[in-house]
Amino acid sequence: MGDSEHPEKTGESVPDASWPENGDQWSDKGEEEDDECELLQEMAEEDEEIDLYNEETFGLDEATSGDNPAADPMDLLLLCSDNSPTPQSSPPPPPISPSPHSSHSPSRPGSRVWPHTPTGRPQRGRAGRGQLFDDPAVVKTVEGRPSLKWMMAPQKSSRPPVASILQDQAIVGVIDRSRHGRVPPVSPNFLSPMRPFSTSRGRRGPPFVGSFNQRCHYQNPMVPCSPFRPQRLFSPQQQYNQPGGFLSPSRPPLSTPMPHTPKLMHLQFGTDSPRPAPFYSPSTNIMQGFRAPGPVAQFHPQHKRLLSQRQQRPHRKPVSWDPYSQIMTDKEKEWIIRLQMIQLQSKNPHLDDYYYQEYYQRIEAKLAEEEILGDRLKKEPPKLTTPYVTKALSYIPVVHIEGSLGQVAVSTCFSPRRAIDAVHANTSDEHRDTRRQRLEVLSTIEKLYIVLLEVEEANKMKATVSDKDEERRLMQNIKRKVDQLYNELRCTNLLDSGEEFISCLLISKGKSMLARLLPFLSPDASLHILSVVTKNLPVLMSKDTDEALPVLYPSLRAVIDRLAFSQLIRNLKEFTATLPDSKDTRLTLACQNKFGLSLLYALLSQGERLLSSDLPMEPSIGDFETWTDTVFHVARQLSQTTLVEPLLLPSNLLTLFCRYLDKRTVHQLKNNMESATGYLAVAS
Amino acid sequence: MNYMPGTASLIEDIDKKHLVLLRDGRTLIGILRSIDQFANLVLHQTVERIHVGKKFGDIPRGIFVVRGENVVLLGEVDLDKEYDQILQRVSIEEILEEQRTEQQAKQESERLKLQAVKERGLSIPKADTLDDF
Repeated sequence: MGDSEHPEKTGESVPDASWPENGDQWSDKGEEEDDECELLQEMAEEDEEIDLYNEETFGLDEATSGDNPAADPMDLLLLCSDNSPTPQSSPPPPPISPSPHSSHSPSRPGSRVWPHTPTGRPQRGRAGRGQLFDDPAVVKTVEGRPSLKWMMAPQKSSRPPVASILQDQAIVGVIDRSRHGRVPPVSPNFLSPMRPFSTSRGRRGPPFVGSFNQRCHYQNPMVPCSPFRPQRLFSPQQQYNQPGGFLSPSRPPLSTPMPHTPKLMHLQFGTDSPRPAPFYSPSTNIMQGFRAPGPVAQFHPQHKRLLSQRQQRPHRKPVSWDPYSQIMTDKEKEWIIRLQMIQLQSKNPHLDDYYYQEYYQRIEAKLAEEEILGDRLKKEPPKLTTPYVTKALSYIPVVHIEGSLGQVAVSTCFSPRRAIDAVHANTSDEHRDTRRQRLEVLSTIEKLYIVLLEVEEANKMKATVSDKDEERRLMQNIKRKVDQLYNELRCTNLLDSGEEFISCLLISKGKSMLARLLPFLSPDASLHILSVVTKNLPVLMSKDTDEALPVLYPSLRAVIDRLAFSQLIRNLKEFTATLPDSKDTRLTLACQNKFGLSLLYALLSQGERLLSSDLPMEPSIGDFETWTDTVFHVARQLSQTTLVEPLLLPSNLLTLFCRYLDKRTVHQLKNNMESATGYLAVAS
Repeated sequence: MNYMPGTASLIEDIDKKHLVLLRDGRTLIGILRSIDQFANLVLHQTVERIHVGKKFGDIPRGIFVVRGENVVLLGEVDLDKEYDQILQRVSIEEILEEQRTEQQAKQESERLKLQAVKERGLSIPKADTLDDF
């Protein structure tokens, strides 16, 4: 509050001596009258804003409106401002001349939190209310300076930059745009609690622009003047596109002053900042009494209905026993509801709001079932539907002001705060190497997740889309992405392990990613992954601290179920082969691991299924022998060691064993397997 | 009436007594007066409640404005059920004393645990060796 205090102090001690250099243009008796004027000006300001709102809402001409509460204060204002220098008489250069007067008043302490432009009013008052909006750009630009100047008050040198702001094409452009894109008047049943300051910009010009500018940066709520007027129009969408601009109806504390330079202003309204303009275009389909924000132009009919119901609801009388009950007014509540609704609009709800969509689909499915079974339900569960909307222009998360030492974080609703730039520190410790590699692999996996999500999304859409071309395009898209995923995952090399996929398989996220990717892969690719997993089973099992391996089971099971006999044999052989660095086989190790055992069971089950089915197999030479050998080997191992409980115990395993082994062994095996699972191994 | 089915909104909770748990572990109980789009809260006639074991103590705090990001959870207090509880209310001094004692005991047990683990040659894995952060 340093900036604001300073002018106050100077205001109190030596009002006009130090401040404006052309203090001689001031009249002496301006002093005492200004005290009164200040209050009146405040009132006049409020009234004027009411009038502005009325004008916009009802489209009435100020001059013809019977309800002109501001008339009297305006007159008084006219009176007390008579002694001010007449800016109208003096031509724009020096444009500074009106500013001393108006900046003089903000120097008054206390009630003023808003650098407003008192000079403007008398001018307007004199010109007649009807001409209030004649040429706001011209009039308001003049007024704009004082506020800006005031904010930069401590320095005396601020005048030249102030002038340059107003010559800044961007700002003037904004004003012009806002003027052109005037929102059409809406019905009195207007819900929105607040007038957007951007709209008022069209009316008032840079005074609000300036202050809005400065405030919007801190997300501070702003209020034009003391008691909040709830009848303000509000367009939340516009707020979103102000960098960091959030308006809420409460009274603001004065923000800590930022070093504002004209360049910053320019940045705010310049080319790279989100433009408020598009959101000014009057929506074509304005709901009665409710203006839809933004380019969407309308809410979903259900929304409209809900909101109109809300409107028509009689005003709740304040709860008598709670004197504080209506602190938050209805308008404020509706403002927040609207804000939240806007946040829910999306182009791709299934992507953006996945959980809700899934939940709702399940509810609907359940209802559909019940409908079939029982009687029809009268009402459906209420569904939130919002129209699709093009995403807001991407904002610039960081604004770099020339000559500044750092970056200014711009916050919007989509990104409330940007953290400091985290730079990857490169350490050369050997332990760190492993960790670093893991982190690199992890970051690759995480980046690839987005691709995977797109694949799954496209797959889902493919099922629903009817157009053949679209389908083909989607399929190509899917294929491309799947290939990309496959290639990237195989290349990540952790600790020069040499084996493909291992590095990502060692990380839990990688496991789940592969599990999700497997259904999309070609048979060869998925077979390759299966063989990689089988070969490296010992490593994977030993390093699986999170017990994440089972996540691979369903997908691998699906792959196994499609295996041909010889492929199966190849994989099974791995189990019985002795490992290079130990005397164990994969088999022995697998018995102690849930996933390994389940994998083994799955393979055996598939073999049994293939053999007992009538489909012709094409076994290679030696396949059957290998198969028989393996079965014996496995049976022996399984009956000897204690087994862990597998993820799934296929039902045809014992049938398989029965065929090859004697009864006693089978019985032993059965006991062993059953003791592990607690279930009967088979119903044979 | 929820205007947005399937969403969570605090609009319905206004002017009702709520219990708010903050990220720093504090428990506040107050009447929710105002909210905004970030779920910043204005609590009225707020009381900070400290729980130690089966005892609790209230420190009257007045008006609280809580920044939304610091809220872990909040829930409406059922005024009927609020007072017939197993918990026993004590004075502020007593509860603060209890809290301090509990804190000390916890630190002591942590220290002992760490020592025991070290003696056995084990180590508690640090966060950066774990997967999936």
